[in-house]
Amino acid sequence: MNDPIKTGLAKGWRHIDAATLTEDQQFEADVVIIGTGAGGGMTAEILTQAGLSVIMLEQGALWSSSDFRQQERWAYPHLYQDGAGRKTKDQAIAILQGRTVGGSTTVNWTTSIRTPKPTLDYWQAEFGLDFSAEHSLEPYFAKAAGRLHISEWQVPPNPNNAALKRGCENLGWQYTVIERNVHGCANLGYCGMGCPLNAKQSMLVTTIPAALEAGALLVSRVSARQFQWRGEHILQLDAVPVDQHYQPTPSVKLRFKARHYVLAGGAINSPALLLRSKVPNPSGRLGKHTYLHPSVISGALFRDAVSGHAGAPQSIYSDQFVWPKGDEAGFKLEVPPVHPVLMASKLTGMAELHAGMMQKFNHLQVMIALLRDGFHPDAQGGEVQLDADGEPVVDYPLTDYLWRGVQQAYLAMAELQFAAGAEAVMPVHQDAMLYSSWQQAKTAIAGLPLKTYRAALASAHVMGGCNMSADAAKGVVDANGSHYQLQNLSVIDGSVLPSSLGANPQLTLYALAWRNADVLAARLRG
Amino acid sequence: MQRRQFIMLGLAAGATLATGLTLYPMFSEADKTQQQQNASLVLDALLPAILLGALPKTEAEQQQALQSTRQAVLDYLPFLPKRQQAELQQLFFLLSQQLTRLALTGHLLALGELSLEQRLQLLSSWRDSYLTLLQQAYNGLRELLLAAYYGQPAHWQALAYTAPEFRAYE
Ligand SMILES: Cc1cc2nc3c(=O)[nH]c(=O)nc-3n(C[C@H](O)[C@H](O)[C@H](O)COP(=O)(O)OP(=O)(O)OC[C@H]3O[C@@H](n4cnc5c(N)ncnc54)[C@H](O)[C@@H]3O)c2cc1C
Ligand code: SF4
Repeated sequence: MNDPIKTGLAKGWRHIDAATLTEDQQFEADVVIIGTGAGGGMTAEILTQAGLSVIMLEQGALWSSSDFRQQERWAYPHLYQDGAGRKTKDQAIAILQGRTVGGSTTVNWTTSIRTPKPTLDYWQAEFGLDFSAEHSLEPYFAKAAGRLHISEWQVPPNPNNAALKRGCENLGWQYTVIERNVHGCANLGYCGMGCPLNAKQSMLVTTIPAALEAGALLVSRVSARQFQWRGEHILQLDAVPVDQHYQPTPSVKLRFKARHYVLAGGAINSPALLLRSKVPNPSGRLGKHTYLHPSVISGALFRDAVSGHAGAPQSIYSDQFVWPKGDEAGFKLEVPPVHPVLMASKLTGMAELHAGMMQKFNHLQVMIALLRDGFHPDAQGGEVQLDADGEPVVDYPLTDYLWRGVQQAYLAMAELQFAAGAEAVMPVHQDAMLYSSWQQAKTAIAGLPLKTYRAALASAHVMGGCNMSADAAKGVVDANGSHYQLQNLSVIDGSVLPSSLGANPQLTLYALAWRNADVLAARLRG
Repeated sequence: MQRRQFIMLGLAAGATLATGLTLYPMFSEADKTQQQQNASLVLDALLPAILLGALPKTEAEQQQALQSTRQAVLDYLPFLPKRQQAELQQLFFLLSQQLTRLALTGHLLALGELSLEQRLQLLSSWRDSYLTLLQQAYNGLRELLLAAYYGQPAHWQALAYTAPEFRAYE
């Protein structure tokens, strides 16, 4: 099968696997980009095409379609941050992030949604950020849609998504058919393990190949450790290779010098690099306000097979509850792909109880509710801290306000699942059981303890930590991603978001990156 | 009994926290073998309990499944952040030591000498403990072990799950 990366490398694309280096080395370019995900990948293409020399750094390896295996036991350790074992400090929320060339876009589920209007309004009101009229992101959404083949998914939803649609129809709830960034998608359902067909238009198969084709250098299996800076300028970036388990290892010292540095390591890792570098932080916001869209899970048994592993993982969502009238926590309803490891580790219980549920694997329909954190004073997100090894860990407090949202989400999902024809529903919570009617579920959910570790919580959307703001006192970077204190540093990734989005992040990040990379290119050329 | 057990658990957790900082640097490369032994000991005791009902039917298949799952856990651990690895090594260490084992489990017997029922009770008591540390231990081990088991294609039959293969893997 065609593998555009292997083909490109064979014709001489510049790639260095840092883990193979045996001597200290220094590299120079106009721009060094740290991280190759949504922000870094998009920026790399735009800057190289503007004629700038670019080096892309990535902690993960250069895996591509002919390496991908449709097996979680391979994908999680090799393509995910911390081997997919990342968790908040108290271990209450599991965090999925990509760590491979293409970042999270290589393993994401292809859902593409524009930034919701109420989110932009909130940014304007709270942070003075103006994305209206001539500052609108609309032209960039359109450009990104063109570049990444984003369009409405025309294939009927798989039964997992169809249940969400049916439930909404029966209850009169809002739902939307999802737009996906795919081209030639065979509807396999393995997006989370790397698309074997290069159908998903991730950074790995679009902007990164374009940047390499235009002469950029990619250094993989390298971990950016620290900026050396003086006054208002970064002087150099220190980095080390990673070992076969992607652990940073000081076997050699690598030094990168550039006119400008673009930080695109994603939320959590970008603020961590700045914290390690002890950069000025007069707003006090660096690493703070890290948002997760904490996601609540509900399983349901259907008589007919659901086979949630097959077919486009996400094709329907419901915004029925995302913008409530009151000030309670809103949540977006979606479904995840259902594969054995993801399911086995998230399902509560053990021994016979757990085994029994796993045996009904193909009849299990699974819903997730993504809590919209970051808009309410009692949902101000988590804080990135550094452990003894300088690695990040997010301290994320679950407030009473969020717990009430968790309960509302369990209720909404159970109601929807019964409306879609479920025979039984089980909120994924240590104290929950299989409930056979909506009435029974409703009563039981009201009594479920709202406590850490009782509710299974997960996140695949990490945002914030280097938030943008029009006012330097309330942000780390400005609306263009320029760092307020260091002149030759921009942050272009999910860490700049000043709240969660209430929508899946990738399209917002592509648009912002395109816009801010354009601004940066003009500045560096001018 | 219940109450005494709780106090013991508290002592053990206190000991873990107090010694945690000094234990961490103690684990060096040279201790890798010892660490693997501690981990294997604990995994071999807990896997047959957590996987009750999931394991294949015949004795030979069960042994095979337990061994390959233990290996899958050991192979996966180095991908976790060093901090998380150290925490797990500590837990394995404590559970394999005589004194702390008594405190953590409320039994004088080694983990492997408890009945499967007792091992499950032990895990449940951690789940429902008021000590954060034990709740974390329950959640962490449960996830780690179940993920390792269901990650193996050999165990997908019971799920009627198959994954497409575009070439031979290994
Ligand atoms: C399983 C999963 C499913 C998802 N599904 C969707 C979806 O359907 N729709 C959607 O909109 N969003 C989805 N997302 C989220 C979306 O992909 C991310 O929000 C987006 O990719 C974030 O972009 P980013 O540039 O901030 O960081 P990332 O894309 O995460 O990229 C950051 C990269 O930087 C690298 N890096 C970090 N630190 C360093 C360092 N110090 N040195 C070198 N390299 C470093 C990382 O290894 C990583 O590869 C999903 C995410 C996951 C994990
Ligand atoms: S559904 Fe399959 S073919 Fe389509 S993008 Fe995802 S992994 Fe690729």
